[in-house]
Amino acid sequence: MPGAGAHRAAVAVWAGALAGALGWATAAAAPPATGRVLPGTAPGAGFAQALESRPFVFPRDHGPHPQYRQEWWYVTGNLDAASGERFGFELTFFRFALAPPAAAGPAATAGADMPGAPGATPGETSAWRTREMYMAHFAITDVARRRFRFAQKLSRAALGLAGAQAPPLRVWIDDWSLAGIEPAPTPAALAPWTLHAAQDGYEIELTLEPLTAPVPNGAAGLSRKSAEPSAANYYYSVPRLKVRGRLLRDDRPLEVHGLAWLDREWGSGGLAAEQAGWDWFALQLSDGGALMFYALRERDGRRDPWSAGTWIAPTGEARPLANADVAIAVTDSWRNAQGVRYPAAWRIEVPALALSLAVRPVLPDQELKTTPHYWEGAVDAGGERSGESVSGRGYVELVGYAPER
Amino acid sequence: MRALRAASLRHLLRHPAQLALALVGLALGVGTIVAVDIATASARRAFELSLQAVNGAATHQIVGGPRGIDEQLYARLRSAPHPPGEPRAQLAPVVAGYVTVGERVMQLLGVDPPASAELDGAAASAAPAFALHGAEEAREWLTEPGTVVMSASSARELGIAADGRFELAVGGVRHPARLIARLEDAGAGFDALLLTDIAQAQEWLGTVGRLSRIDVRVPAGAAGTALLARLAAQLPADLALHATRAEARETFAMTDAFTTNLKAMSLLALLVGTLLIYGAVSFAVLQRRSIIAVLRALGATRGEVLAMLLSEAAVLGIAGAVCGVLLGLAIGRGLVGLVAQTINDLYFVVAVSEVSVPASVLVKALCAGLATALVAALLPALEVAGSSPQLGLARSVLERRALQVARRLVIVSVLLALGALLTIAGSSRSLLAGFVALFMLLLSVAALTPAALRALAGAAAAIAARFSPVARLACADIAASLSRTGVAIAALGMALTAMIGVAIMVESFRESLREWLIQSLRADVYVSAPGVAESLERRLDPQVIRALLQVPGVRAHSEGRRVTVTSSAGALDLNAVHLAAESYAGYRFTQGEAAHAWPQFARGAILISEPLAWRLSLAPGGRLTLITASGPRAFTVAGVYREYGNDRGEVLMDLEAYRQWWHDEGIAALGIYLAPGIPAAQAVRELRSAARGRQALLIRSNADIRALSMRIFERTFVITRVLYWLAAGVAAVGLVSALLAWELERARELALLRTLGLTRAAIALLVVGQTAFMGVAAFLAAIPAGLCTALVLTDVINRRAFGWQIGLHLAPAQFGNALWLAFAAALAAGAYPAWRSARAPLASGLREE
Repeated sequence: MPGAGAHRAAVAVWAGALAGALGWATAAAAPPATGRVLPGTAPGAGFAQALESRPFVFPRDHGPHPQYRQEWWYVTGNLDAASGERFGFELTFFRFALAPPAAAGPAATAGADMPGAPGATPGETSAWRTREMYMAHFAITDVARRRFRFAQKLSRAALGLAGAQAPPLRVWIDDWSLAGIEPAPTPAALAPWTLHAAQDGYEIELTLEPLTAPVPNGAAGLSRKSAEPSAANYYYSVPRLKVRGRLLRDDRPLEVHGLAWLDREWGSGGLAAEQAGWDWFALQLSDGGALMFYALRERDGRRDPWSAGTWIAPTGEARPLANADVAIAVTDSWRNAQGVRYPAAWRIEVPALALSLAVRPVLPDQELKTTPHYWEGAVDAGGERSGESVSGRGYVELVGYAPER
Repeated sequence: MRALRAASLRHLLRHPAQLALALVGLALGVGTIVAVDIATASARRAFELSLQAVNGAATHQIVGGPRGIDEQLYARLRSAPHPPGEPRAQLAPVVAGYVTVGERVMQLLGVDPPASAELDGAAASAAPAFALHGAEEAREWLTEPGTVVMSASSARELGIAADGRFELAVGGVRHPARLIARLEDAGAGFDALLLTDIAQAQEWLGTVGRLSRIDVRVPAGAAGTALLARLAAQLPADLALHATRAEARETFAMTDAFTTNLKAMSLLALLVGTLLIYGAVSFAVLQRRSIIAVLRALGATRGEVLAMLLSEAAVLGIAGAVCGVLLGLAIGRGLVGLVAQTINDLYFVVAVSEVSVPASVLVKALCAGLATALVAALLPALEVAGSSPQLGLARSVLERRALQVARRLVIVSVLLALGALLTIAGSSRSLLAGFVALFMLLLSVAALTPAALRALAGAAAAIAARFSPVARLACADIAASLSRTGVAIAALGMALTAMIGVAIMVESFRESLREWLIQSLRADVYVSAPGVAESLERRLDPQVIRALLQVPGVRAHSEGRRVTVTSSAGALDLNAVHLAAESYAGYRFTQGEAAHAWPQFARGAILISEPLAWRLSLAPGGRLTLITASGPRAFTVAGVYREYGNDRGEVLMDLEAYRQWWHDEGIAALGIYLAPGIPAAQAVRELRSAARGRQALLIRSNADIRALSMRIFERTFVITRVLYWLAAGVAAVGLVSALLAWELERARELALLRTLGLTRAAIALLVVGQTAFMGVAAFLAAIPAGLCTALVLTDVINRRAFGWQIGLHLAPAQFGNALWLAFAAALAAGAYPAWRSARAPLASGLREE
């Protein structure tokens, strides 16, 4: 096979690792017959489990939790340039461990925090040994030019190539990073962050300033995904971050400002076999309110009862939303070049809040052809709350629609 | 025209033996060319595939000195802030070395998969052709020690068990390993390749903290150039950035002299084949003079006759070429192994598992076959077509003409020989010019042979006349048969000359090598870490060295480290040595004085071997720039020494100087001198037991190394032998064909002799004697010519190809093969006609015409 290379063979090895990166996302996307939930026999064996709610302590909890298997820092936002052009951006860092921390099992014999591997030259352990990988996705939606561009980075947590630390927070792969500004001028929970990422044609250099304290989701921060108790994550959001900074498009700088959303989750569980994926909504409304809701989907297309969300009132007060609280109707769909159909417009009704919103993507194609493929894009919302008309912007994530390859 | 075609066809079919032999001659000639092309193309293809497998999509590489690259540099390059808007270079680290699995040497490639994926540009959407099972393999790859991946075919060949567990050895130290995935349809490039995680590779190879290289991919065009310039500016002085393609070219160019030699040998076979076709066609034409004359008288035009003869030749050419291609495919398959073996012995590790047959080779062979046949047929065809339609020419006229031609050929021969001399004198370095001169010399021999045969036969006839009129007749007959046999004899003379020349060259080389080995291997016992010659991981454990030197009877020792360094002239082999007092005598200077060179050497100057001096045109006092750990540095050349072990040449440097410039403390080999009275075999046993359990080392006595070197030498010349036997085979077939035709034609003459009273046995003896005489004559002519050829091969071809000087060494055995071949071919040619003539009923023999 001409053109193949050792590097290509390495890709083959890592197709799997990439799949593992999204944790329960890919597990869900895999057909049950071949779907291994995640590396290891029992999901999360040897890792700490998110079983009980706990108070979050900042800035420590902005940082990594290496005793859990997977973790992510998820920033999405809508930006306006001085020129009037509109952009959406997504910068996500995933941490995932391929083996539990030290001395947790016979399989876990490698890594700086582990005893010398039997095959290794005694006393000499390579700095490349690690049990953790980092993955990052960076996507830009350029509304005026009707362009959607994404890039992916994957790296081992070794030699300073990738990693996470706190305080102050720093998560990075190569020169992509999300970092706390030191010294923090404000109370720890509200300390501003900087964010940097670049891909061909687009580069962002942004400062994020939290407008609200972190909001725990689920039951005081414990977000259960199924009846299986271990299938749960710790989950908090910062629903409003004021963004200022610079976006470089084809080498030309644009001053931008806008609003971003930060999601943080960590845990060791996975989706249940019958769960196929989810639709996640994060909307910031013009009246100061914000809505987060994830609708878990089962393989037969029905909504999973473990779907849940959070309403953050303009006052900052958070209210958990259960599956039954939110009705979502898909009003349009979009088909990608491979024929995969994604929902492309929704009507969301939350009777308890007297909230009714029509949500529509700013561009139909905001699909990341990463591993796995998923759709994550900037959206507009419009409707009524308590009889008043509201508008809003936000991000929607659609996982588990594309077949696993 | 139908009458013409019928005549043509009938003639060919009536002489099937003649037809078959002409075909075989052409087929052998074409086949040899095809075989050599296939063998070299396959080796080259295997090499390219393995490079592709190793390099993948990389366009460039960052390479360092013998110790490689500090891994922190890679981390710095990756996280360095990037000027906005510019494209990025994709970088991937590689740790490479050699390991042994069972008996097999494999390249170990340690990669960082995410970086490799990025470099490969395989967007996650491009599904890899040999996808593994996913997350589980990734986890094992990264977190379990000793996990490797290789091609399914390699795993099968190595007989790796179903659980994947096996052992590999690095520099004699064994490690457990486990195969976690077998790459199906991985392709030939993966045949000698073992993939593992970069961390594992560093640990196995003992290169923790270092990278062998950083693969780089930049976009094509101006953006890429700018990117490379910026990248190069970020590199420390001891690192170099160069194109992977350039490296591939440079590496394979090492074998240029070797493959050129092979091609020349195959051309020789075709040249011999051309002469034979010429002989066969002109003979066939001459035989038909009378028929053609009749046809002309019946109204066939010259053009028609010419077209008939040439189309015959074309059919013959195509048929011969097709047979030749088929034959070449068969021989080529055998030759591939030999070529690969030689490349592995002399140059680099390459596993040739697939025979590749480029279409161009086949087209070239078909064209060569057709052209050969047409060119060979053109002269005789023109002559016959051009003659007036009278009823044939008398035989005597023909022979007189042949005699004129033979005389003219003597002049041609002298001119060719002069041309060969001028070509050699007029060029000093060109290998091509050397081969041109060689071929001119061989053609000169061919041109001279008919006249020489005639002169010999004439002289023999004069002598024989005193004893027997029949013997006189037999000799005179030979001299008068030149129109029939001249060309075949010429071809045989040329092939024998080449055979003798090559035999002398090989023997001379062997003797020079033997002398050199005796002189240069001074120590009694040699100790080295197993592995590929210049690889970094090939080093002795310092504790093992201490243990070895404490073995009783060890009196003194030399230390050596062999590495590849970058120089202003590309990659060079560097041999860093700390010599025992006795070892200095092992180096014989061909340029420079030992008395001056060694003190300079001790102060940091370098010595270079003869091939390197030739290749780089360097002499004592000159300077060679090597890229040291602290950047480029020009070293003074203190002397040039004789060396036959490495045809690319090597640099000899004092070990202390090497350590100072490259910060590498490793030692790869020891030369141990024993106290008087201690047998080497006993010392080898004791040294082995001192190293046992710590490191598997190659511990061999002086005599063993010598024997091993000679074995490798013999192996590398196997292919040369095969080729010259092929060329000789073509000549022998040609001779048999020509003599057979001649003798059959003489049936009437022989019958007449029988009516004059000769017994059957005498007739048989006469015939066999005549052909044997021809064989011996060709052989005698080939002796002086073979000596000249040997001189050209040693002093011109070898010197220009490899730079070393070989003393001419003569032995009777060198002529044995040629004599044997000449005699056997001649006897074979005579046997059937002799048998037939002796048995033929008189009447039918006389009635023939």
